This record gives sequence, structure tokens and C-alpha cells, in this order.
Amino acid sequence: MRSLTNFAPSTFEERGAAVGFTTPTLAQTRVRQDERGNLEVLIPNISEGRGVYVVAWKSLPLAFPMTVHDRCLQDILMKSGGCSPDDLRKATLETARFGLAGPNAADAAEAAMRDDEEQRLLINYQLITEVLKAVGLDAGQILKAGLGSAQGEKLTRDSMTRAAKSLGIDATELYTRVAELALFMEPVGLPTSPKPARLRRMAKELQKFHDTMTEWSTTTKSEAGPIGGFCAEVAEHTLNHVRHVVTRLDQSVSAFELLLRQWEAKRKEVKAACTRLSWLLDGWDYITALWADAHGRSRHEQDMAVHDIFRIIPLLPRDEGRIDFSLEAGKVLTANRKIVRAYVDWRTGQLDADLVQRIEQLKTRAA
Amino acid sequence: MAAEDLNILGQQLLYIDEQKFREVVSLLEHMGHNPEVQKTFSLIRPRLAEVKPRRRPTLKRVFCEPFEDLFEPPLPGDRTPVDAIERVVVNRLWPLVEAEMGATLVADLSARLKSADGPALEALSLELWTAGAAAVFAVTAAFEAGRLADELEIRLNTARVRQLQHVGNALAAAGEIVALKKALSPKPVARLHDDHLQAVQTIGKALARSRPEALRVLVLVAAARLADPAMLLGSLWNLDFGQKSSDRAALFAEVSGGVVAQIETRVRVLKNAAAQDEGKPDRLAAADLAVDLVNSLDATRGAMEVSRRNEFDKRLKDIRGAVHEMVRTQVLHEADGSIIAAMAPAAGGFPDRESLLRAENHARALRKCAVVADSLGLRTELRTVTDRTIGTLTTSARQALGSAGTVGAGTRAGYTAVRLIELIAGPTEANRVLTEILEKGRPL
Repeated sequence: MRSLTNFAPSTFEERGAAVGFTTPTLAQTRVRQDERGNLEVLIPNISEGRGVYVVAWKSLPLAFPMTVHDRCLQDILMKSGGCSPDDLRKATLETARFGLAGPNAADAAEAAMRDDEEQRLLINYQLITEVLKAVGLDAGQILKAGLGSAQGEKLTRDSMTRAAKSLGIDATELYTRVAELALFMEPVGLPTSPKPARLRRMAKELQKFHDTMTEWSTTTKSEAGPIGGFCAEVAEHTLNHVRHVVTRLDQSVSAFELLLRQWEAKRKEVKAACTRLSWLLDGWDYITALWADAHGRSRHEQDMAVHDIFRIIPLLPRDEGRIDFSLEAGKVLTANRKIVRAYVDWRTGQLDADLVQRIEQLKTRAA
Repeated sequence: MAAEDLNILGQQLLYIDEQKFREVVSLLEHMGHNPEVQKTFSLIRPRLAEVKPRRRPTLKRVFCEPFEDLFEPPLPGDRTPVDAIERVVVNRLWPLVEAEMGATLVADLSARLKSADGPALEALSLELWTAGAAAVFAVTAAFEAGRLADELEIRLNTARVRQLQHVGNALAAAGEIVALKKALSPKPVARLHDDHLQAVQTIGKALARSRPEALRVLVLVAAARLADPAMLLGSLWNLDFGQKSSDRAALFAEVSGGVVAQIETRVRVLKNAAAQDEGKPDRLAAADLAVDLVNSLDATRGAMEVSRRNEFDKRLKDIRGAVHEMVRTQVLHEADGSIIAAMAPAAGGFPDRESLLRAENHARALRKCAVVADSLGLRTELRTVTDRTIGTLTTSARQALGSAGTVGAGTRAGYTAVRLIELIAGPTEANRVLTEILEKGRPL
């Protein structure tokens, strides 16, 4: 079976980040930087054997027929040069916004971008509130005056200046620190946020995926049961790491005064935790949407969805956990070799339009 | 629970989550044979067929197992098996079968069924099927002699008498049918492999020796378990059941007639649906069905050629003509106009999303029909329509992407045109158009 589970990377960077391609052969393949800083893409062995093809990013259109959406995404990423999960998300939304994955995906991308913008404002306000709370000031007045109003802005400036004095920091420096923190924490948000930020929402979805997949794999009579069980186990392991990172991050932010006073040391910790969280959850949005879509469908379609998930499941790198999931995946694959369906669309050389349409629909849900 | 409540419950059961659905079905089963409960079960039958909750075995349910694949489908649009059995016939037949088997045997079987499991259940099922077959044959003989017609409470016609014969024969050949179902699972079988055909032949050969009259129902069950019954037709002529050549020809003719009739019914349903759906027809569904029908037609045609039979030529030609007409009127007719019109800006400067989604489906339908255009004699017409549409879309893309500066209504309209080209002609053509436009001046 074609799967990236054959590949056992040591770090997230070596594993690469999942790309939201709509070409079935390339969907959710991973991109990373080579030792010269050029992008390269990891494609599961197309001849069903073990191993992974590593293709230079710029040569991808020569090696595979791609949809127009994917050509544009490839071009945007090649020009930006970044390949972190956040870089890829930005490029994916930008491409979908053109309408190349259909009007629904375009609307979903617009909505996701608007949501990011709202989160940016919200986290800024929340961090300012935390600053004021840390020095015993009340942020209620600012809220009453209105965040965007001239009076509100003046009140914010005055309060922040007083806070800076109280903390013994220059006011401009305080603003810079808050802005920098808001930038890291935008996708994670604060636990007190009225609307959970993207990565917290995704963690919830992952929990739901874990619960439903565990139940499915233990109650199904299908031969795909053990594969589903493995997928649930990977989700659980990932969730444990996510919980650990989120708890530590929330603790750092709750001791806000300490965070501002020990800025140099603590900012690195916060930044590393936010980055790690986005790597931990990378690729799961597509998988949770795929599984949610399979709910209520026929048994056969659910089996096929489980096989699809197994093909692209983001295993934790070896350095991240005690369990070598690549080895475990190999065992699952050997035990189920007879029944695992081959992913064979590449054989025809024709683009499977139905499959592209399905990936686009999932993309809409995952945005 | 009042009748109205049960009706409302039935409607809601179609949408609740699977676990709750199973629980409610189990509760309903404990409410017994109340007619309103049975009505609720009829309402939720499509979902029952999908979810297949574990249901308490009843004598009637076990009785139906050998011929359940031949039941007419729960939803009217679904594919009906060749020579389908109406549920109403079995519902009316069952009390007569119980009476024929005798109260003592029925009570004994019912009592044993409550605790039966595994091999005990298999033995009990065989016992029921044997007694059931004898009872059905006796009831059928009574009908044919003009007795019992009032007790059945439905109008008997030739088709229904044939259904009763199928039920009797299926029960008599229940052992072989159970083996066949195991070989042809899970249902629906999407592709017939050699081991499937080998199983059909081995089981059919054994049955043809012991009970030749039941061979037909075995073949019908085999056909009903396939995604497309016409697949079996292609191999049926070459299957050796050890029959005389005249019997083989008769069996083939009967099954072929059924398959052709089934295709005709589907075309008829489609025509009716198209007539009712004049406002906003689902063109992609029409294209999917056309491809499916042409595949069935080709398989049937191939089987006829192998068997050198020509009695269905006229009917097959008529079906092909109907599919041709359907593709021409529902997919090709004014395709360019309707696809281009969907791109016209609505409120906010962007095209209306619903119209765009319909245009995308229309574009996909055009691409799908390219597979069957040759077979339907529509190659030139399809080529003309697609070329004209792609030409107009290319012009739109060139104008929009050539003039727009930032991502806005203009750029999006341009990329939408490129996407529609992709859906009609594939990514190679769309990428070529886009590259050509962008190389002439505008960076991506």
C-alpha cells in the first residue's frame, strides 16, 4: 500500500509539512527543505513498494500531471520558499481564494482568513488586558469606550504607559513584546478566549476523531478495524503531546508578569511551544474532515476512508515519542497486507475527477 | 405510543446518529407486530438497509433470507433486481405459509429460535426453509387451482405467480443460495473475478443436477448481488451448468430479458425525472447515469454477440437511442450558454455561488460524457459544444486576468474560467491556457 508510514523521520522538519494538493496522487504529501534550503516533496512509492520518492519541488509538474490549483499552489510556495505548516496554510488559503478549488473552497478560504484577522484583534486585546491585570489596572474602561474608537485607543495608550512604568520597561518595548507575543500565539489563542483559536479547535476535532475512530475500530466487523485502531492510537499519542504543550504554554502565559520580566528566556519557550503545536497538529485538519465526512456513509466507504487516512496519517517523528510508529505501521501493514486496498489511480494516467471533487469538498471543510 | 407519534418518530429516525438509531430499532422490535410499528419500519427501511442493525431473528426474517436479495429496493430510484419480488406478496404469503406448516411446527420453531445461535440456528433455518418450500409450493398449487385467492388479499397476475415460484424455488435451494451469497460478498460486488464465476458455476452445476427448476432463481440471486447485473450476462453464456443446450439458451434468454427490461425501466424512470425536473436539472447525475447505462448496454450487447442471439437487438437499439437523446438534451443542449451565463457577476461583483456550482457540474457532465460519446454517436456534437465553450471561457479568462491588478472580482472570474476549462478538458489544457495568459504579462 502506498503510504508515508514507511518513512521514519527523526524530526518534524525532516518529516515535512502536509500540502493541501487536490491532485489525488499528491494529496497531503509532505514538503520540506533540503540541505541547501531548496524545497523538496516526499511522495509515497507509487509502485506500491516500500520507500518514498523525493522530488525537487520545482520539478513536480514535470513528474506528475497536476490540477491548475496545485500548479498555482506550487508556484506560490516556490516563490515564498517557506515550508512550515503556517507558511503552507497561508499559501493554501491564498490559492483557494482564487476559486481554483471551486466556489465553496474559495468562500471557506475567505472565511478562514477573516477568522484569522478576528483572532489577531482578539489576542491583541486579550494580551493588553493581561498586561494591565499583571500591574493591577482595569481593562474594562477600554472595552466600554470601544476598542477601535479614538477614546479607546487613547485609554489603551495611557494604561499601557502606566503599565510599562510599573514593570520598569520602556512603553515602546512593551508594545513590541505584546505584538510579538500576539504573532506567535494567534493560532493558539488564550484558554480564556470567548472563541477558541484555530489550533485549540483542531485539538478538539482530533479528540473527537480519536473517540469515534476507537469506537469504530472496536465495534466494526470490517477487516480495516486494526488499521483504524492504529490510526486512533497515533491520534491519542499526538493528543498527549498536544495536551502537554498546551498546558505548559497556558502556564507560561498565566504567569504574565514573569513572562514580561524574563522576556528573553520566556519568549523563546512560548515561541517554541506555539511552533511545536502547529507541527504536532499539521495534516490532522484534512484527516478529521475526511473521517467526519465518512460518518453516515456505507461500511465500504468507511473502510476506504480508513485506508486513505492510514496512507497520510502524520506519524510523530522518532525524536518526539517513545514509540516508533513507523515500525508499528509496518506491523499493521504486514498483518493486513491482503485486504489493504491499493491506491491505484495513477495507473490510468488520467486524473480521477470524482476524487479531485471529493478532496476539494474536504478542503472546504478543513479550511 | 400513538400512531401519529410513530410516524413522526419514523421521519426523525432517518437523521439521528447511528448508535441511537440502533437503540431505537431495538426498542421498536420489542413493541411487537403492531401495524403502526410495521409502518414505521417501512418508513425507515432505506436506513435499515444502510446501517444493518443487529435485529432480533424472527421466523419470517429467517424465512426470507434465501430470496432477500430479490426484494424490490426500499427507495424508488434504486436499481431494482431482475425479476424482483414485491414485499407485499411475501407479507401476504407468510400467514398462509404458517397455516400450511401447522401451528405445532411454527410454535416449536419459534420457541427454539429464541435461544438458537451458531450451528443450532443454521440447523433450524434449514428445517424452516425445507418446510417453508413445501408450504409455498402447496399454496402456489392452490392458487393455480383457483383456491386461496381471497386469503392472499392481493390481485394475482402472472408476474406475482412467478414471484411465488421464485420464493418456493429459493427456499428449496436455500443451502446452495447461502453458499452463493458467501462467495459473492460483500454485496454489491463491483467486479466479477474468476473465483466468483467458478463459485457460481460449481454451485449452479450441483443444483442443476438435484433441482434444475431452481437454477434460474440462483442465477437471479447472483445477478442481484452484483453492482451491475449485466456483468454476469457477459459470462453467463460460457458458464457450464451441465444443462442441455436448449435449457442453457432458455435460461440465458430469460435472464437477458430481465436485464434488458431492467435497463428499460431505468431509462423510463430517468425520462420521468427529467420531465419533472425541467427548471434545474441535475446534469451530472444524468451524465453518471448515461455512463452507467452505456456500460450495461455494452455488456449486454457483448453477451448477445457471444451467444449469437439477436432477439433483443431492437430493444437494445431503442435504449441506446433513448440514452443518446438524454445526453443530447440534458447535457449537450445549450451547454456553452448555461456555463458562460453562470459566470456573470451578481451582487458584490462575484458570480452567484449556486449558479457556479451548477455550471461546474455541467462542465463535469460534459467531461464524463466524452467517455460514452463514441458509443452513442455523439462524438462530433460533443466536440463542437466543448470547443465552443472552451473558446468562450478562454476569452473570458484572458480578459479578466489580463486586466485585473489584485485579487478581486476580475481575477477570481478569470481563474473561475480556467477552472471550468479544467473541468471540461482536463488540467493539461487548463494549465496551457493559464500559462499562455500569464506569460503575456501578468505575474501570478
